[in-house]
Amino acid sequence: MNKEELAYLPVTELVSLIKRREVSPVELVETYLERIARWDGSLRAYITVCREEALEAARKAEAAVARGETLGPLHGIPIGLKDQIWTKGIRTTCGSRILAEFVPDEDAAVVTRLKEAGAIILGKQNLTEFAMGGTVEFHYGEPRNPWNLNHSPGGSSSGSGIAPAAGLCAAAIGEDTGGSIRGPANNNGIVGLRPSWGRVSRHGLIPLAWSLDTAGPLTRTVADCALVLQIIAGYDPKDAASARLPVPDYWARLDGEVRGMRIGVIRETLYSDLIDPEVQASVKDAAALLGRLGATVDEVSLPLMNVAGPVFMVICDSEGASLHRKWLATRPGDYDQATRRRMLAASLIPLALYHKAQQVRTLIRGQILEAFQRFDVLLSPMSATPAPRIESTKNVIQSKEDAFRQLFRGRIYSTPFVLAPTPAVSIPCGFSKVGIPIGLQLVGRPFNEVAVLRAAYAYERNTTWHTRRPPLP
Amino acid sequence: MADLAPEQVQALAQAAGLPISNPEDLAEVTHRLNAFLEAMATLDQLPLERLQPIPALQHPEALP
Repeated sequence: MNKEELAYLPVTELVSLIKRREVSPVELVETYLERIARWDGSLRAYITVCREEALEAARKAEAAVARGETLGPLHGIPIGLKDQIWTKGIRTTCGSRILAEFVPDEDAAVVTRLKEAGAIILGKQNLTEFAMGGTVEFHYGEPRNPWNLNHSPGGSSSGSGIAPAAGLCAAAIGEDTGGSIRGPANNNGIVGLRPSWGRVSRHGLIPLAWSLDTAGPLTRTVADCALVLQIIAGYDPKDAASARLPVPDYWARLDGEVRGMRIGVIRETLYSDLIDPEVQASVKDAAALLGRLGATVDEVSLPLMNVAGPVFMVICDSEGASLHRKWLATRPGDYDQATRRRMLAASLIPLALYHKAQQVRTLIRGQILEAFQRFDVLLSPMSATPAPRIESTKNVIQSKEDAFRQLFRGRIYSTPFVLAPTPAVSIPCGFSKVGIPIGLQLVGRPFNEVAVLRAAYAYERNTTWHTRRPPLP
Repeated sequence: MADLAPEQVQALAQAAGLPISNPEDLAEVTHRLNAFLEAMATLDQLPLERLQPIPALQHPEALP
């Protein structure tokens, strides 16, 4: 097997190969380090590569295999982490200059769980500043889409979308406040799951918005996503929002079946006036395929999704502004201009507006949850368009109308399920004529990641989009 | 509702202890704030009177 093939093997396969001593963890880490050295100068997926730590962990993992020890479910698997996630002794910048020297004195809960499962932390991955999106000038290099360097990899978990897609890690952990896992998964042609709020501990995540943030996996296959979720999910007393629920065996539930599953195709997103025809056609094809596989597919209207954009922004930004107040007052020049302006405006949002946004959130949640009386899974495009060119993501807001267009409209695709809050996954379902991935979003009722993953797995098994690799320059 | 003028936004910012020194920052902050106010005003038509503003749903079985 050549190194290119090794780099793109699914985690599920790598785990078996390592246990059978057919692949060594050291060889695997070295393969990713070589690829990072070769490609990351242009892709900028990583802020910090943990070269020595990863090699040392790989040597220990290899010794454990040689001794015949009982191995964890991710033994020897190199994983990348969004640089929003605390790592003990390794700087955690959150993509900012303000936290350039921040070195946590403990690991985030998800990191502890990954290490206990045998995973190797390969590095800290690039993101938009403070996980907000819209960054104009990246402090640690401009992240680029491996399918076309002129296109956006999405955000905020930019590097965590790029790296699995480009074979620069086996899997990644991102964080999703308003689409920050699903967006990069969509743009880079991989799988990205936003778990239910409360399913994965947020202890050790640098927060953006406390009532919206959650960590989740970005992987090349749905089975890998289930495997990684299995490790990071579960109750944690250190997170006040953590759910005291048993964690199902996600992996065991991937049977490739959707017969009898009821799938609702959301009209408001599929027929939005923003939708690109290629995206619409790909998503329609995906829905039709799931129908042919035995699911009952019908359309559903959720009109309150149309107001989710401003409601999300008021909640997210108000909560975020409370975190940034001190730095806005003392270090405004250390922010990227987009973050600074966003947080200054957020600091001035009246409390009554935040209160109203939470009330509307209750309405939106009610409408989405009601749809789950009729459907097991909701289906939607992940985005109105394939990943745009980078320059088009750096527009200054020139007017109030411009703010409506840039801040609110496109968020209909990602934010309603954050407000609900439901699990949602983005998986590849096609490519545009110019070779940019297109994403399909599948949504489940709260804490029913099983339904989402089952539908995604059945779709993936009957398509080949996930097997394509980007043409690295 | 009339839009806020940059001068009014600056006064709000100063009152909040966050004076905005860069004119381009002030212009964009003004556009953003006016968009928030207008977008949220349109939601007054929704039946919000008796709705509790509960931020997030906790699964019933998840409650301690």
